[in-house]
Amino acid sequence: MIALTRFHLYGYVRSQRALYPLVVAALFVVLMLVQSPGPAHGAELTVGTYGDIAAFMVPIWAWTARALLDTEPDVQGHLSALAVGRRSTPATAGLVAAYGANVVLGLVMLAVPVLQGIGFHVGGSAMLAGVALQPLAAVPATLLGALTSRAVIASPALSILALLGGCVLILLLSMGPLAWLSLPMIEWLRAAHHGEAAFTGAFPGVALHIALWSVAATAVYVWIRRR
Amino acid sequence: MRLNDVAFRYARRGPWILRDVTLELEPRRIIEFSGANGAGKSTLLRIVAGIMRPRRGAVGGRPVRVGYAPERFPADQPFTIAAYLGFMARMRGLSETAIRPWTERLALTPLLDVPLPELSKGSAQKVGLVQALFPRPELLVLDEPFAGLDTETRADLPGLLSEVAADGTTVVVSDHQRCLDDLDEVDRFRVADNTVRRSTRDEQAAGDGEPVVLEVVVAADEADAVTAKLRADGYDVRRPR
Repeated sequence: MIALTRFHLYGYVRSQRALYPLVVAALFVVLMLVQSPGPAHGAELTVGTYGDIAAFMVPIWAWTARALLDTEPDVQGHLSALAVGRRSTPATAGLVAAYGANVVLGLVMLAVPVLQGIGFHVGGSAMLAGVALQPLAAVPATLLGALTSRAVIASPALSILALLGGCVLILLLSMGPLAWLSLPMIEWLRAAHHGEAAFTGAFPGVALHIALWSVAATAVYVWIRRR
Repeated sequence: MRLNDVAFRYARRGPWILRDVTLELEPRRIIEFSGANGAGKSTLLRIVAGIMRPRRGAVGGRPVRVGYAPERFPADQPFTIAAYLGFMARMRGLSETAIRPWTERLALTPLLDVPLPELSKGSAQKVGLVQALFPRPELLVLDEPFAGLDTETRADLPGLLSEVAADGTTVVVSDHQRCLDDLDEVDRFRVADNTVRRSTRDEQAAGDGEPVVLEVVVAADEADAVTAKLRADGYDVRRPR
């Protein structure tokens, strides 16, 4: 599975599709540098940025995952599946590769706010929660991308509509009474903008919610790929 | 390996592409499937390889190590030949040295550093063949392996397949171009009318009334005379440009 995961990543990077989300991430980093908070509310605003980045990155991560998984031609998918032998391995390797690419993208985004956090003396637990939120939120975003990839939705037009629609639906649902059905985006944004203590306190609940959502999305993805 | 009463269609309510297919595929044999375009040969080969599952019936006794070369190798990938085959070897848990004898045999070694998208159709086809052959599969499935190959490799391939079969591999081939006609150790089947039936070399050659392209080599000064003679006999003659 490691060889197939590396094959996916190498193909994605060499295809130059990786440049598009990197450019978006770089622009966001520049924006963070330009809008750098002053010393008065520096720590408070930096913790808020941890929540903002995770929320902003959900559609970018989903898009990245979809692009990475769609880089491999269908026939190559068949050849890879025969090479690795097990029927479930290609789907798992694809998910791991997409998640790996997203974690790298998340790290690029985190560099500036982590440095700001150190500069503004943000508490260790809040900084840890902020850093941990990124790879955690990347999991469901990767799954959303996988659920809109060509292996699941053959039509490119429908697939991109499903990706955009999925992102909007997640955001809208997380605002209302059906928030339990969605990713807790509004919850983590609200907590991050209410200070270090609120963010740290809300983190375990947010993490559990994301984990449960991810388990459900994984089950759906595995079911569809096995059909 | 056995296909038992296999049937396949792409969509739940779509037309059946294959029905009532019962076959025994013996080790150490070459199994050739012929048939008109759209008869279902490629579909059958994908079922044999395990890429697609039959809607009905069962496939039993498929070996673990399967090599498959598609009709069109997906050359639109951002790898050189060496990098691509290296990845395929590692996916199989093999060292890259396993590739070398096959790239030598198919005259691909000088092209190892060439990116896949820059390859000619024939060279891309050879990459497809190498990735199917180097794992020394117990079941080797080749979909139209002769298409696009240069004359030398096309002439060499039947012998190579015989060697692979003699080593214990079940070799399954679809062949439009009648390149296996000279081999004796071939079980011939015809795919037609949504099913598969055993066939003979002569029946294969007769085909379904489809035209067959022959290459006739003549001395340059006789070309016009031969062309005129064949045209007079009612054949369609095209001169290479």
